[in-house]
Amino acid sequence: MSGEVTMPHNGIVCKSDILKKIDSTEMPLIEQPVKKLPSVTISTASVSKSSTSSSSSSTSSHISCTADSGIGSLIDDRSDLTEQLFVDPNLYVDIGNGDYCCPASPTTVPGRIVSSNSLESPARTTPSRPARRQRTTSVNSQSTTANPAECIIRANNRTIYTAGRPPWYNCAGQQVEPFVIGVCGGSASGKTTVAQKIIESLSVPWVTLLSMDCFYKILTEKQHEQALLNEYNFDHPDAFDIDLLVEVLTKLKEGRMVEVPIYNFVTHSRESKTKTMYGANVIIFEGILAFHSPEILKLLDMKVFVDTDADIRLARRLKRDISQRGRDLSGVLKQYLTMVKPSYANYIAPTMAHADIIVPRGGENKVAIHLIVQHVHTQLQLRGFKLRETLVNSYKDQPMPESLHLLPPTPQIKGLHTFIRCRSTSRDEFIFYSKRLIRLVIEYALSLFPFKTTTVETPQGVLYEGKRMGSRKICGVSILRAGETMEQAICDVCKDIRIGKILIQTNRNTGEPELYYLRLPKDIKDYKVILMDATVATGAAAMMALRVLLDHDVPEENIILASLLMAEIGVHSIAYAFPKVKIVTSALDPEVNDKFYVIPGIGNFGDRYFGTEPSDDYL
Amino acid sequence: MADSTIITTENHVESSDSNGETHSGSITSVSNTSAVMIASLKAPEILEEYGPNLKLLDCNSQVAELLTIIRDKNTTRSDFKFYADRLIRLVIEESLNQLPYSDCRVETPTGATYDGLKYQAGNCGVSIIRSGEAMEQGLRDCCRSIRIGKILVESDADTHEARVVYARFPDDIASRQVLLMYPIMSTGNTVLQAVNVLKEHGVPESCIILSNLFCTPIAAKTVVGAFPKLKILTSELHPVAPNHFGQKYFGTD
Repeated sequence: MSGEVTMPHNGIVCKSDILKKIDSTEMPLIEQPVKKLPSVTISTASVSKSSTSSSSSSTSSHISCTADSGIGSLIDDRSDLTEQLFVDPNLYVDIGNGDYCCPASPTTVPGRIVSSNSLESPARTTPSRPARRQRTTSVNSQSTTANPAECIIRANNRTIYTAGRPPWYNCAGQQVEPFVIGVCGGSASGKTTVAQKIIESLSVPWVTLLSMDCFYKILTEKQHEQALLNEYNFDHPDAFDIDLLVEVLTKLKEGRMVEVPIYNFVTHSRESKTKTMYGANVIIFEGILAFHSPEILKLLDMKVFVDTDADIRLARRLKRDISQRGRDLSGVLKQYLTMVKPSYANYIAPTMAHADIIVPRGGENKVAIHLIVQHVHTQLQLRGFKLRETLVNSYKDQPMPESLHLLPPTPQIKGLHTFIRCRSTSRDEFIFYSKRLIRLVIEYALSLFPFKTTTVETPQGVLYEGKRMGSRKICGVSILRAGETMEQAICDVCKDIRIGKILIQTNRNTGEPELYYLRLPKDIKDYKVILMDATVATGAAAMMALRVLLDHDVPEENIILASLLMAEIGVHSIAYAFPKVKIVTSALDPEVNDKFYVIPGIGNFGDRYFGTEPSDDYL
Repeated sequence: MADSTIITTENHVESSDSNGETHSGSITSVSNTSAVMIASLKAPEILEEYGPNLKLLDCNSQVAELLTIIRDKNTTRSDFKFYADRLIRLVIEESLNQLPYSDCRVETPTGATYDGLKYQAGNCGVSIIRSGEAMEQGLRDCCRSIRIGKILVESDADTHEARVVYARFPDDIASRQVLLMYPIMSTGNTVLQAVNVLKEHGVPESCIILSNLFCTPIAAKTVVGAFPKLKILTSELHPVAPNHFGQKYFGTD
């Protein structure tokens, strides 16, 4: 059923464009020829992933059709529905910030209740079957639109996925405000197409696309019945939960993590699960009534109105509703005439006055999109996202900050450092002695948490005044890969501790850190957090990790950054950006070289610990 | 083969320790009234009273918590062992600080030089059976292949006099630095005997480092008085020693 309705505007066509681009831009980096992916799982995942998202174009477009599709689709044959509804979660590729790029809202597939159970049912979405299109997503344009196999650079046994999240804050660790684009337009006018074209042409690595569809109000039983009879007006401003929308968009603009509701168009209520989204360099917000609320208008940096001819919009709706959902012509027309058209005239068309740019003909209008992209680029450049070099060159010759807690420099610690710094130390010894040092660092870090005085009874019959830790809720967060080496020590010291992980890698092109992966304990905001990284040079990765924690609402004073070795420069940067974060390290080195290694340093701690040093044969 | 004997003798030792405690004047009143709180001594007082060779583990909040958990009678055995091991590890690490070292310069993988230091070879551990053995693992975790000798000190049930009944050391112990491990010191008698044995084997007093968790001021005075050159490292100086340590750690209470 997918073939006949595939719209020309999204899906495979754009994808191959991106593929080409990546091929040409990234290939020079590759020092060894790209091999076929050895891992079957990855390649399978990538195939099905691209096909699911590409085939998404075949499912319907706009939401207002949900209302009218009610009855018609109840008659739909079940197997067909199953194909659309059940999306194997394994097929989605993790795009690095911890959420999956699966569509947020089960858009327009009525007739059957989607429960979380059924989502996990064994029904498979085969590559040829259609899936819903992405409505709301935090997108890394490269990783999600291109076949992942093409984003991999292999060099010296190192695999780099060119798709992390670059810094979204300035060198003082403060949030750089993202650029928010609002896209408004009538139903089936091609807003999403325009949004996607903008994302593709921007080639900004981190974009969040937020759809207004997620913010439909929960319907009462009566309204639900109306909806089934095509008599509930989904195109009216009252159908949206504007307050929640403003809250979410404001938080996104502050770069914070938000929970976006997932609206179930079958039950007309929100699902218990929500979708986690993150602030980004560029946020695109699209919806039929995107410009309706004055509060939202204030949040938008650029307002784009997609003005597609009414005939074309009706034609698209008819085609979609009739051929895809088996609805009859009169029903679709009735809904269009009684609700969609009047709503457009009353609420949508007037908001065109707020628009900065009006795009006629929607996604086909290349000139308009080019203009938009150029403007966004200028704006982004003004905000400045260059980080690492700024960090290296500031804060010279200043006294060390108060938030730095250096372990007492005992002979023992110096002796351990001698072992792990020596280049000829064998891996066996390196691991053993660094573990000992890590243990000391962790013990010391724990002593910096608040304690309260308590009195306990002893078996000797006397009372004993001692101390207990103020809060039992402690969790460790390691910055992969080197920070992982510290996990064992913290588990040895704290029983049943929860461990979060953050993967940050340096982009070898730009020298900037990029965020790839994130898994944190639920409710991390209630925990005291020990953030672990083996070495801190410029502090760029640590700052990104700290920024992530802050974005998850962890109070700054509840974080301890523990590290074996830090460069003075990194300490300064972190302390300046996050003065309340306690910094714990066992040694402080004066310099960082041009490869961002600490001098005299340890070398690449992760490589030495895990035994992945580049051997001389490959250099 | 000697397991049962060792355990019984050990019980003797411990009971004699606590007996010794009640005999000593200032503490008798304490044992009778259960609600009395006794504070432990702080580092500056110790330096003044016992000289520079008695060192106290830097008592940060974290260490204080460990001490509290070990002292608390409501602590489960599993927690007790877990936190005791943590404290032992810290005490052992700190004891190793007392070992002699020499300067050493190494080249780092980045090509720079690092001015470090190197510990001299030829150290060994000696544990006093039974509770001292609880600290062996902590030492092993820090020094993987270190030699460990053992001493069994038995107390006479009637006279409370401690005497050594078993001692096994590396042959060349006289030329080594010795880390003597014994977690609880109430009277110090056991340690006195152990040090005497070591001296009989030719180990100089100044080459012995005593690793200890809980020490009473009386014991500290006794040991420092008898062996002024012996280095002592403890985590707490408190008039009441947690004499249940060995039994709870090994689960024979």
